[in-house]
Amino acid sequence: MTYEFKETLLYVENLSVAYDDTIIIKDINVIEKDVVRPNVDCTGQVIAFLGRSGRGKSTFFKALTGLIPSNTGKVLIRDFENSEPNAAKPVKEGDIGLVDQKYTLFRHKTVTEALKFSLRKTKLSESEKNEKIKQYLKEWGLDNCADKYPNELSGGQRQRTAIIEQLFSSDQFIVLDEPFSGLDVGNIQEVKKAFDLLGKSSEVNTVIFSTHDIELALELAQTIYVIGYPTIDGKLQSYGTIVAKYDLREMGLAWKDYCGDHLTLSKEIIHQMMIS
Amino acid sequence: MIKFLTPFEKISKTNRTLILTGWLVLLIAIWFIATSGEKHLFPSPSQVLTGFQELYKEGLVVHIFNSLKLCFISIFLATIISLVLAYSWPIPLLKSVSEFVTKFRFLPFTGLSFYITMVVHEARMMQVWILVIFLTTFLTTSLIAVIKDIPQEEFDHAKMLKCTRLEVLWQVIILGRIDYVIDVIRQNLAITWMMLVTVESIVVATGGLGFLIKNSDKFMNTGRIIALQIIILLIGLGLDAGINYLRKSIFRYSKI
Repeated sequence: MTYEFKETLLYVENLSVAYDDTIIIKDINVIEKDVVRPNVDCTGQVIAFLGRSGRGKSTFFKALTGLIPSNTGKVLIRDFENSEPNAAKPVKEGDIGLVDQKYTLFRHKTVTEALKFSLRKTKLSESEKNEKIKQYLKEWGLDNCADKYPNELSGGQRQRTAIIEQLFSSDQFIVLDEPFSGLDVGNIQEVKKAFDLLGKSSEVNTVIFSTHDIELALELAQTIYVIGYPTIDGKLQSYGTIVAKYDLREMGLAWKDYCGDHLTLSKEIIHQMMIS
Repeated sequence: MIKFLTPFEKISKTNRTLILTGWLVLLIAIWFIATSGEKHLFPSPSQVLTGFQELYKEGLVVHIFNSLKLCFISIFLATIISLVLAYSWPIPLLKSVSEFVTKFRFLPFTGLSFYITMVVHEARMMQVWILVIFLTTFLTTSLIAVIKDIPQEEFDHAKMLKCTRLEVLWQVIILGRIDYVIDVIRQNLAITWMMLVTVESIVVATGGLGFLIKNSDKFMNTGRIIALQIIILLIGLGLDAGINYLRKSIFRYSKI
Protein backbone atom coordinates (compact mmCIF):
# COMPACT_ATOMS: atom_id res chain seq x y z
CA MET A 1 0.00 0.00 0.00
CA THR A 2 1.42 3.39 -0.98
CA TYR A 3 1.82 6.13 1.59
CA GLU A 4 3.70 9.34 2.08
CA PHE A 5 5.26 10.98 5.15
CA LYS A 6 4.36 14.62 5.81
CA GLU A 7 5.34 16.84 8.74
CA THR A 8 6.67 15.64 12.07
CA LEU A 9 3.96 15.30 14.72
CA LEU A 10 5.90 13.89 17.66
CA TYR A 11 9.58 14.29 18.45
CA VAL A 12 11.09 12.70 21.55
CA GLU A 13 14.82 13.07 22.07
CA ASN A 14 17.00 11.41 24.73
CA LEU A 15 14.18 11.29 27.27
CA SER A 16 15.26 10.03 30.69
CA VAL A 17 13.41 9.83 34.01
CA ALA A 18 14.90 8.94 37.38
CA TYR A 19 13.36 8.78 40.84
CA ASP A 20 16.02 9.72 43.40
CA ASP A 21 19.02 7.71 42.20
CA THR A 22 17.06 5.05 40.34
CA ILE A 23 16.93 5.46 36.58
CA ILE A 24 13.56 4.27 35.26
CA ILE A 25 13.89 5.13 31.57
CA LYS A 26 16.87 6.45 29.67
CA ASP A 27 17.65 7.84 26.21
CA ILE A 28 14.29 7.27 24.61
CA ASN A 29 14.04 8.60 21.06
CA VAL A 30 10.85 8.61 19.01
CA ILE A 31 9.99 10.43 15.80
CA GLU A 32 6.52 10.09 14.33
CA LYS A 33 5.38 11.83 11.18
CA ASP A 34 1.99 12.40 9.65
CA VAL A 35 1.36 9.63 7.20
CA VAL A 36 -0.91 10.17 4.24
CA ARG A 37 -2.36 7.52 1.94
CA PRO A 38 -3.71 8.40 -1.50
CA ASN A 39 -7.41 7.67 -1.96
CA VAL A 40 -7.90 7.43 1.83
CA ASP A 41 -9.65 10.40 3.47
CA CYS A 42 -7.90 10.24 6.82
CA THR A 43 -5.08 8.10 8.16
CA GLY A 44 -4.45 8.77 11.79
CA GLN A 45 -1.21 7.52 13.31
CA VAL A 46 -1.35 4.50 15.60
CA ILE A 47 1.78 3.66 17.58
CA ALA A 48 2.13 0.72 19.95
CA PHE A 49 4.58 0.28 22.82
CA LEU A 50 5.27 -3.26 23.93
CA GLY A 51 7.45 -4.54 26.71
CA ARG A 52 7.49 -6.70 29.77
CA SER A 53 6.06 -5.39 33.05
CA GLY A 54 8.23 -2.96 34.98
CA ARG A 55 10.24 -1.80 31.97
CA GLY A 56 9.03 1.80 32.28
CA LYS A 57 6.16 2.04 29.77
CA SER A 58 3.86 3.88 32.18
CA THR A 59 6.68 6.18 33.30
CA PHE A 60 7.45 6.93 29.67
CA PHE A 61 3.78 7.77 29.04
CA LYS A 62 3.69 10.06 32.07
CA ALA A 63 6.82 11.89 30.92
CA LEU A 64 5.49 12.02 27.36
CA THR A 65 2.26 13.65 28.52
CA GLY A 66 4.04 16.10 30.84
CA LEU A 67 2.66 14.57 34.03
CA ILE A 68 6.12 13.97 35.44
CA PRO A 69 9.22 16.01 34.67
CA SER A 70 12.02 14.38 32.72
CA ASN A 71 15.61 14.50 33.94
CA THR A 72 17.03 14.87 30.46
CA GLY A 73 15.75 15.17 26.92
CA LYS A 74 12.75 16.83 25.37
CA VAL A 75 9.31 16.09 23.99
CA LEU A 76 8.06 18.25 21.14
CA ILE A 77 4.70 18.04 19.41
CA ARG A 78 3.32 19.75 16.32
CA ASP A 79 1.96 23.18 17.18
CA PHE A 80 -1.35 23.22 15.32
CA GLU A 81 -2.00 26.85 16.23
CA ASN A 82 1.09 27.88 14.30
CA SER A 83 0.54 27.69 10.55
CA GLU A 84 4.25 27.47 9.71
CA PRO A 85 5.29 24.04 8.44
CA ASN A 86 6.86 21.81 11.09
CA ALA A 87 6.15 24.33 13.87
CA ALA A 88 6.66 22.51 17.15
CA LYS A 89 6.17 23.21 20.85
CA PRO A 90 7.40 21.53 24.02
CA VAL A 91 4.73 19.33 25.54
CA LYS A 92 2.99 20.41 28.73
CA GLU A 93 0.23 18.93 30.89
CA GLY A 94 -2.93 18.52 28.83
CA ASP A 95 -1.38 18.81 25.35
CA ILE A 96 -1.38 15.03 25.01
CA GLY A 97 -4.43 13.25 26.42
CA LEU A 98 -3.88 10.23 28.65
CA VAL A 99 -6.45 7.51 29.22
CA ASP A 100 -5.35 5.29 32.08
CA GLN A 101 -6.15 1.62 32.66
CA LYS A 102 -9.08 2.49 34.93
CA TYR A 103 -10.65 4.93 32.40
CA THR A 104 -10.80 7.61 35.10
CA LEU A 105 -13.57 10.20 34.76
CA PHE A 106 -14.92 12.90 37.07
CA ARG A 107 -17.22 10.91 39.37
CA HIS A 108 -19.53 13.91 39.91
CA LYS A 109 -20.12 14.76 36.24
CA THR A 110 -22.48 13.10 33.78
CA VAL A 111 -21.11 12.16 30.36
CA THR A 112 -22.45 15.40 28.82
CA GLU A 113 -21.13 17.52 31.70
CA ALA A 114 -17.72 15.86 31.44
CA LEU A 115 -17.50 16.43 27.70
CA LYS A 116 -18.64 20.03 28.07
CA PHE A 117 -15.95 20.53 30.69
CA SER A 118 -13.27 19.16 28.36
CA LEU A 119 -14.38 21.64 25.69
CA ARG A 120 -14.29 24.63 28.06
CA LYS A 121 -11.01 25.98 26.70
CA THR A 122 -11.99 25.78 23.03
CA LYS A 123 -13.25 28.77 21.08
CA LEU A 124 -16.53 27.07 20.19
CA SER A 125 -19.81 28.76 21.08
CA GLU A 126 -22.20 27.09 23.51
CA SER A 127 -24.43 25.77 20.72
CA GLU A 128 -21.43 24.50 18.74
CA LYS A 129 -20.20 22.66 21.84
CA ASN A 130 -23.62 21.06 22.34
CA GLU A 131 -23.74 20.09 18.68
CA LYS A 132 -20.24 18.58 18.80
CA ILE A 133 -21.05 16.59 21.94
CA LYS A 134 -24.28 15.32 20.39
CA GLN A 135 -22.46 14.27 17.22
CA TYR A 136 -19.72 12.40 19.07
CA LEU A 137 -22.16 10.68 21.42
CA LYS A 138 -24.04 9.40 18.38
CA GLU A 139 -20.94 8.33 16.44
CA TRP A 140 -19.43 6.57 19.45
CA GLY A 141 -22.68 4.85 20.45
CA LEU A 142 -23.12 6.78 23.67
CA ASP A 143 -26.32 8.68 22.93
CA ASN A 144 -28.26 6.82 25.63
CA CYS A 145 -25.54 7.60 28.20
CA ALA A 146 -25.62 11.40 27.93
CA ASP A 147 -27.06 11.91 31.40
CA LYS A 148 -25.37 9.01 33.13
CA TYR A 149 -22.68 9.26 35.80
CA PRO A 150 -19.49 7.15 35.50
CA ASN A 151 -20.75 4.63 38.07
CA GLU A 152 -23.75 3.99 35.83
CA LEU A 153 -21.63 3.22 32.72
CA SER A 154 -20.21 -0.10 31.52
CA GLY A 155 -16.43 -0.51 31.15
CA GLY A 156 -16.62 0.06 27.38
CA GLN A 157 -18.82 3.14 27.75
CA ARG A 158 -16.47 4.58 30.35
CA GLN A 159 -13.50 4.04 28.10
CA ARG A 160 -15.16 5.65 25.08
CA THR A 161 -16.18 8.63 27.21
CA ALA A 162 -12.62 8.94 28.53
CA ILE A 163 -11.23 8.84 24.98
CA ILE A 164 -13.64 11.50 23.63
CA GLU A 165 -12.96 13.67 26.68
CA GLN A 166 -9.20 13.57 26.05
CA LEU A 167 -9.71 14.04 22.32
CA PHE A 168 -11.76 17.21 22.95
CA SER A 169 -9.25 18.63 25.36
CA SER A 170 -5.86 17.62 23.95
CA ASP A 171 -4.13 18.66 20.76
CA GLN A 172 -5.06 15.54 18.78
CA PHE A 173 -2.64 13.27 20.62
CA ILE A 174 -3.96 10.48 22.79
CA VAL A 175 -2.02 8.05 24.92
CA LEU A 176 -3.80 4.93 26.18
CA ASP A 177 -2.09 2.94 28.89
CA GLU A 178 -2.99 -0.72 28.35
CA PRO A 179 -6.47 -0.07 26.94
CA PHE A 180 -7.13 -3.78 26.42
CA SER A 181 -6.20 -5.09 29.84
CA GLY A 182 -9.02 -6.93 31.56
CA LEU A 183 -11.50 -6.45 28.70
CA ASP A 184 -13.69 -9.20 27.29
CA VAL A 185 -13.95 -9.95 23.56
CA GLY A 186 -16.89 -7.57 23.11
CA ASN A 187 -15.16 -4.68 24.81
CA ILE A 188 -11.94 -5.30 22.83
CA GLN A 189 -13.99 -4.94 19.64
CA GLU A 190 -15.40 -1.66 20.98
CA VAL A 191 -11.91 -0.30 21.66
CA LYS A 192 -10.78 -1.39 18.21
CA LYS A 193 -13.75 0.49 16.79
CA ALA A 194 -12.71 3.53 18.85
CA PHE A 195 -9.20 3.34 17.35
CA ASP A 196 -10.76 3.20 13.90
CA LEU A 197 -12.95 6.23 14.63
CA LEU A 198 -9.95 8.17 15.95
CA GLY A 199 -7.93 7.39 12.85
CA LYS A 200 -10.74 8.32 10.49
CA SER A 201 -11.78 11.55 12.21
CA SER A 202 -8.58 13.50 11.55
CA GLU A 203 -5.43 13.11 9.47
CA VAL A 204 -3.24 14.27 12.34
CA ASN A 205 -4.86 12.28 15.16
CA THR A 206 -2.10 10.28 16.82
CA VAL A 207 -2.92 7.35 19.08
CA ILE A 208 -0.16 5.92 21.24
CA PHE A 209 -0.93 2.84 23.30
CA SER A 210 0.75 0.15 25.34
CA THR A 211 -0.35 -3.44 25.47
CA HIS A 212 0.78 -6.95 26.34
CA ASP A 213 -1.27 -8.33 23.44
CA ILE A 214 1.21 -8.55 20.54
CA GLU A 215 -1.44 -9.74 18.09
CA LEU A 216 -3.62 -6.68 18.76
CA ALA A 217 -0.61 -4.38 18.47
CA LEU A 218 0.24 -5.88 15.07
CA GLU A 219 -3.36 -5.58 13.94
CA LEU A 220 -3.83 -1.95 14.95
CA ALA A 221 -0.47 -0.17 14.91
CA GLN A 222 1.64 1.24 12.11
CA THR A 223 4.75 1.44 14.26
CA ILE A 224 5.70 -0.82 17.15
CA TYR A 225 8.33 0.07 19.72
CA VAL A 226 9.64 -2.46 22.23
CA ILE A 227 10.67 -1.01 25.57
CA GLY A 228 13.01 -3.20 27.59
CA TYR A 229 16.29 -3.36 29.46
CA PRO A 230 19.18 -2.89 27.01
CA THR A 231 22.27 -5.07 27.02
CA ILE A 232 25.48 -3.01 26.99
CA ASP A 233 28.88 -4.75 26.78
CA GLY A 234 27.19 -8.05 27.50
CA LYS A 235 25.56 -6.76 30.69
CA LEU A 236 21.77 -6.37 31.07
CA GLN A 237 21.00 -2.85 32.34
CA SER A 238 18.21 -2.07 34.80
CA TYR A 239 16.53 0.88 33.06
CA GLY A 240 14.03 0.90 30.23
CA THR A 241 14.75 2.15 26.75
CA ILE A 242 13.64 1.40 23.22
CA VAL A 243 15.30 -1.87 22.25
CA ALA A 244 13.52 -2.40 18.93
CA LYS A 245 11.39 -0.49 16.46
CA TYR A 246 9.24 -2.06 13.74
CA ASP A 247 7.74 0.15 11.04
CA LEU A 248 4.86 -1.94 9.76
CA ARG A 249 4.29 0.48 6.87
CA GLU A 250 7.82 -0.12 5.56
CA MET A 251 7.36 -3.85 6.08
CA GLY A 252 4.08 -3.80 4.16
CA LEU A 253 2.18 -5.07 7.17
CA ALA A 254 0.19 -1.99 8.15
CA TRP A 255 -3.52 -1.58 7.31
CA LYS A 256 -3.71 -5.31 6.54
CA ASP A 257 -5.57 -8.22 8.07
CA TYR A 258 -3.54 -10.45 10.36
CA CYS A 259 -1.56 -12.94 8.24
CA GLY A 260 1.47 -15.24 8.28
CA ASP A 261 3.95 -12.34 8.06
CA HIS A 262 2.41 -10.80 11.16
CA LEU A 263 2.94 -14.11 12.94
CA THR A 264 6.63 -14.17 11.96
CA LEU A 265 7.04 -10.63 13.24
CA SER A 266 5.17 -11.55 16.41
CA LYS A 267 7.81 -14.24 17.13
CA GLU A 268 10.59 -11.71 16.56
CA ILE A 269 8.91 -9.23 18.96
CA ILE A 270 8.51 -11.94 21.62
CA HIS A 271 12.20 -12.73 21.28
CA GLN A 272 13.10 -9.04 21.69
CA MET A 273 10.89 -8.79 24.76
CA MET A 274 12.38 -11.89 26.32
CA ILE A 275 15.98 -10.75 25.97
CA SER A 276 15.25 -7.32 27.36
CA MET B 1 -30.02 -24.17 60.82
CA ILE B 2 -26.41 -25.20 60.02
CA LYS B 3 -26.53 -22.62 57.22
CA PHE B 4 -27.10 -19.86 59.80
CA LEU B 5 -23.99 -20.91 61.72
CA THR B 6 -21.70 -21.26 58.70
CA PRO B 7 -19.31 -18.29 58.34
CA PHE B 8 -19.75 -16.13 55.16
CA GLU B 9 -22.95 -17.97 54.23
CA LYS B 10 -25.36 -15.79 52.25
CA ILE B 11 -28.91 -15.63 53.63
CA SER B 12 -32.10 -14.08 52.29
CA LYS B 13 -33.50 -10.74 53.43
CA THR B 14 -36.47 -12.48 55.10
CA ASN B 15 -34.16 -14.76 57.07
CA ARG B 16 -32.08 -11.76 58.12
CA THR B 17 -35.20 -9.98 59.39
CA LEU B 18 -36.30 -13.13 61.20
CA ILE B 19 -32.92 -13.46 62.95
CA LEU B 20 -32.98 -9.79 63.99
CA THR B 21 -36.55 -10.07 65.30
CA GLY B 22 -35.57 -13.23 67.18
CA TRP B 23 -32.70 -11.48 68.94
CA LEU B 24 -34.91 -8.51 69.85
CA VAL B 25 -37.61 -10.77 71.30
CA LEU B 26 -34.93 -12.65 73.26
CA LEU B 27 -33.49 -9.39 74.62
CA ILE B 28 -36.91 -8.13 75.71
CA ALA B 29 -37.75 -11.52 77.24
CA ILE B 30 -34.46 -11.51 79.23
CA TRP B 31 -35.25 -7.96 80.36
CA PHE B 32 -38.71 -8.97 81.59
CA ILE B 33 -37.50 -12.16 83.32
CA ALA B 34 -34.37 -10.63 84.89
CA THR B 35 -36.32 -7.74 86.38
CA SER B 36 -39.39 -9.69 87.50
CA GLY B 37 -38.07 -10.31 91.05
CA GLU B 38 -38.11 -7.85 93.92
CA LYS B 39 -34.40 -7.03 93.83
CA HIS B 40 -32.84 -6.13 90.51
CA LEU B 41 -30.00 -3.86 89.39
CA PHE B 42 -31.52 -2.99 86.03
CA PRO B 43 -34.90 -1.16 85.98
CA SER B 44 -37.95 -3.16 84.93
CA PRO B 45 -39.89 -2.30 81.72
CA SER B 46 -42.66 -0.73 83.81
CA GLN B 47 -40.12 1.50 85.61
CA VAL B 48 -38.71 2.59 82.25
CA LEU B 49 -42.22 3.31 80.98
CA THR B 50 -42.90 5.42 84.06
CA GLY B 51 -39.58 7.16 83.36
CA PHE B 52 -40.78 7.99 79.85
CA GLN B 53 -44.06 9.41 81.16
CA GLU B 54 -42.31 11.54 83.80
CA LEU B 55 -39.82 12.83 81.26
CA TYR B 56 -42.59 13.74 78.85
CA LYS B 57 -44.39 15.69 81.57
CA GLU B 58 -41.15 17.55 82.37
CA GLY B 59 -40.85 18.78 78.81
CA LEU B 60 -38.84 16.04 77.11
CA VAL B 61 -39.65 17.45 73.63
CA VAL B 62 -38.19 20.84 74.53
CA HIS B 63 -35.05 19.19 75.90
CA ILE B 64 -34.67 17.08 72.75
CA PHE B 65 -35.09 20.24 70.67
CA ASN B 66 -32.39 22.02 72.72
CA SER B 67 -29.97 19.11 72.30
CA LEU B 68 -30.62 18.88 68.55
CA LYS B 69 -30.17 22.64 68.17
CA LEU B 70 -26.85 22.48 69.99
CA CYS B 71 -25.86 19.46 67.87
CA PHE B 72 -26.67 21.15 64.55
CA ILE B 73 -25.04 24.49 65.41
CA SER B 74 -21.86 22.73 66.57
CA ILE B 75 -21.71 20.42 63.56
CA PHE B 76 -22.32 23.32 61.17
CA LEU B 77 -19.55 25.48 62.65
CA ALA B 78 -17.12 22.56 63.04
CA THR B 79 -17.77 21.42 59.45
CA ILE B 80 -17.03 24.90 58.04
CA ILE B 81 -13.75 25.15 60.01
CA SER B 82 -12.77 21.55 59.18
CA LEU B 83 -13.44 22.01 55.48
CA VAL B 84 -11.23 25.09 55.36
CA LEU B 85 -8.48 23.16 57.16
CA ALA B 86 -8.88 20.03 55.00
CA TYR B 87 -8.98 21.93 51.72
CA SER B 88 -5.81 23.79 52.69
CA TRP B 89 -4.07 20.49 53.38
CA PRO B 90 -2.80 20.08 49.76
CA ILE B 91 -1.17 23.55 49.96
CA PRO B 92 2.41 22.93 51.18
CA LEU B 93 2.55 26.04 53.41
CA LEU B 94 -0.72 25.19 55.18
CA LYS B 95 -0.33 21.41 55.32
CA SER B 96 1.40 21.43 58.71
CA VAL B 97 -1.32 23.64 60.21
CA SER B 98 -4.06 21.19 59.16
CA GLU B 99 -2.09 18.20 60.40
CA PHE B 100 -1.33 19.96 63.69
CA VAL B 101 -5.06 20.50 64.30
CA THR B 102 -5.74 16.76 63.85
CA LYS B 103 -3.30 15.97 66.69
CA PHE B 104 -5.48 17.96 69.10
CA ARG B 105 -7.94 15.07 69.18
CA PHE B 106 -5.68 13.40 71.74
CA LEU B 107 -6.12 16.28 74.19
CA PRO B 108 -8.33 15.60 77.25
CA PHE B 109 -11.80 17.08 77.23
CA THR B 110 -11.78 18.53 80.72
CA GLY B 111 -8.49 20.39 80.44
CA LEU B 112 -9.50 22.34 77.37
CA SER B 113 -13.01 23.08 78.62
CA PHE B 114 -11.37 24.74 81.64
CA TYR B 115 -9.70 27.30 79.35
CA ILE B 116 -12.87 27.81 77.32
CA THR B 117 -14.79 28.68 80.50
CA MET B 118 -12.24 31.42 81.14
CA VAL B 119 -12.76 32.95 77.68
CA VAL B 120 -16.46 32.32 77.04
CA HIS B 121 -18.80 33.20 79.88
CA GLU B 122 -22.24 32.48 78.48
CA ALA B 123 -23.12 28.82 79.21
CA ARG B 124 -24.77 28.00 75.87
CA MET B 125 -21.90 29.54 73.91
CA MET B 126 -19.50 27.61 76.11
CA GLN B 127 -21.22 24.33 75.17
CA VAL B 128 -21.13 25.25 71.49
CA TRP B 129 -17.42 26.12 71.45
CA ILE B 130 -16.34 23.10 73.47
CA LEU B 131 -18.14 20.90 70.94
CA VAL B 132 -16.88 22.87 67.94
CA ILE B 133 -13.25 22.62 69.03
CA PHE B 134 -13.40 18.90 69.68
CA LEU B 135 -15.48 18.10 66.62
CA THR B 136 -13.15 20.11 64.38
CA THR B 137 -10.22 17.88 65.31
CA PHE B 138 -12.14 14.68 64.47
CA LEU B 139 -13.79 16.03 61.33
CA THR B 140 -10.50 17.44 59.99
CA THR B 141 -8.81 14.06 60.58
CA SER B 142 -11.55 12.22 58.67
CA LEU B 143 -11.67 14.78 55.83
CA ILE B 144 -7.90 14.66 55.34
CA ALA B 145 -8.15 10.85 55.24
CA VAL B 146 -10.74 11.19 52.45
CA ILE B 147 -8.35 13.43 50.46
CA LYS B 148 -5.44 11.05 51.04
CA ASP B 149 -7.55 8.19 49.66
CA ILE B 150 -8.18 9.88 46.30
CA PRO B 151 -6.30 7.84 43.67
CA GLN B 152 -3.47 9.64 41.84
CA GLU B 153 -5.26 8.84 38.55
CA GLU B 154 -8.03 11.30 39.43
CA PHE B 155 -5.54 14.15 39.85
CA ASP B 156 -3.72 13.13 36.64
CA HIS B 157 -7.04 12.98 34.79
CA ALA B 158 -7.88 16.55 35.80
CA LYS B 159 -4.38 17.74 34.84
CA MET B 160 -4.78 16.03 31.46
CA LEU B 161 -7.91 18.13 30.88
CA LYS B 162 -5.78 21.26 31.23
CA CYS B 163 -6.97 22.05 34.76
CA THR B 164 -4.88 24.51 36.71
CA ARG B 165 -3.79 23.37 40.18
CA LEU B 166 -6.67 25.34 41.74
CA GLU B 167 -9.11 23.74 39.30
CA VAL B 168 -7.74 20.30 40.28
CA LEU B 169 -8.45 21.18 43.93
CA TRP B 170 -11.94 22.42 43.06
CA GLN B 171 -12.93 19.60 40.70
CA VAL B 172 -11.29 16.56 42.29
CA ILE B 173 -11.32 17.39 45.99
CA ILE B 174 -14.07 19.93 46.62
CA LEU B 175 -16.74 19.01 44.03
CA GLY B 176 -15.56 15.43 43.51
CA ARG B 177 -15.77 14.49 47.19
CA ILE B 178 -18.70 16.62 48.44
CA ASP B 179 -20.73 13.47 49.15
CA TYR B 180 -17.89 12.17 51.29
CA VAL B 181 -18.19 15.29 53.48
CA ILE B 182 -21.75 14.28 54.34
CA ASP B 183 -20.59 10.75 55.05
CA VAL B 184 -17.79 12.03 57.30
CA ILE B 185 -20.36 14.07 59.25
CA ARG B 186 -22.53 10.95 59.54
CA GLN B 187 -19.63 8.84 60.77
CA ASN B 188 -18.63 11.48 63.33
CA LEU B 189 -22.20 11.99 64.45
CA ALA B 190 -21.86 9.23 67.05
CA ILE B 191 -18.92 11.10 68.63
CA THR B 192 -20.86 14.38 68.42
CA TRP B 193 -23.92 12.89 70.06
CA MET B 194 -21.85 11.28 72.81
CA MET B 195 -19.89 14.49 73.47
CA LEU B 196 -23.02 16.60 73.35
CA VAL B 197 -24.67 14.73 76.20
CA THR B 198 -21.44 14.92 78.22
CA VAL B 199 -21.03 18.65 77.54
CA GLU B 200 -24.65 19.30 78.50
CA SER B 201 -24.16 17.51 81.78
CA ILE B 202 -20.87 19.31 82.55
CA VAL B 203 -21.96 22.80 81.56
CA VAL B 204 -25.56 22.95 82.67
CA ALA B 205 -27.19 25.68 80.61
CA THR B 206 -30.56 25.64 78.91
CA GLY B 207 -31.52 22.03 79.48
CA GLY B 208 -31.01 19.27 76.99
CA LEU B 209 -30.80 15.48 77.22
CA GLY B 210 -27.48 15.60 79.09
CA PHE B 211 -29.03 17.86 81.70
CA LEU B 212 -31.91 15.39 82.14
CA ILE B 213 -29.52 12.46 82.59
CA LYS B 214 -27.50 14.41 85.15
CA ASN B 215 -30.70 15.17 87.10
CA SER B 216 -31.95 11.58 86.97
CA ASP B 217 -28.52 10.36 88.00
CA LYS B 218 -28.60 12.59 91.07
CA PHE B 219 -31.80 10.98 92.35
CA MET B 220 -30.81 7.43 91.31
CA ASN B 221 -33.88 7.22 89.11
CA THR B 222 -32.71 4.28 87.00
CA GLY B 223 -36.01 4.00 85.09
CA ARG B 224 -35.58 7.54 83.78
CA ILE B 225 -31.90 7.00 82.97
CA ILE B 226 -32.66 3.98 80.79
CA ALA B 227 -35.62 5.79 79.19
CA LEU B 228 -33.26 8.65 78.31
CA GLN B 229 -30.60 6.28 76.98
CA ILE B 230 -33.22 4.70 74.69
CA ILE B 231 -34.31 8.15 73.47
CA ILE B 232 -30.70 9.21 72.82
CA LEU B 233 -29.98 5.97 70.96
CA LEU B 234 -33.09 6.28 68.80
CA ILE B 235 -32.42 9.94 67.92
CA GLY B 236 -28.81 9.08 67.06
CA LEU B 237 -29.88 6.20 64.82
CA GLY B 238 -32.54 8.40 63.22
CA LEU B 239 -30.02 11.14 62.44
CA ASP B 240 -27.59 8.57 61.01
CA ALA B 241 -30.24 7.07 58.72
CA GLY B 242 -31.55 10.52 57.75
CA ILE B 243 -28.12 11.82 56.72
CA ASN B 244 -27.36 8.63 54.80
CA TYR B 245 -30.68 8.95 52.94
CA LEU B 246 -29.95 12.62 52.22
CA ARG B 247 -26.54 11.76 50.73
CA LYS B 248 -27.93 9.03 48.50
CA SER B 249 -30.86 11.11 47.29
CA ILE B 250 -28.86 14.27 46.56
CA PHE B 251 -25.84 12.60 44.98
CA ARG B 252 -26.90 9.95 42.48
CA TYR B 253 -23.29 9.06 41.78
CA SER B 254 -22.47 8.47 45.43
CA LYS B 255 -21.71 4.85 46.22
CA ILE B 256 -19.58 4.82 49.33
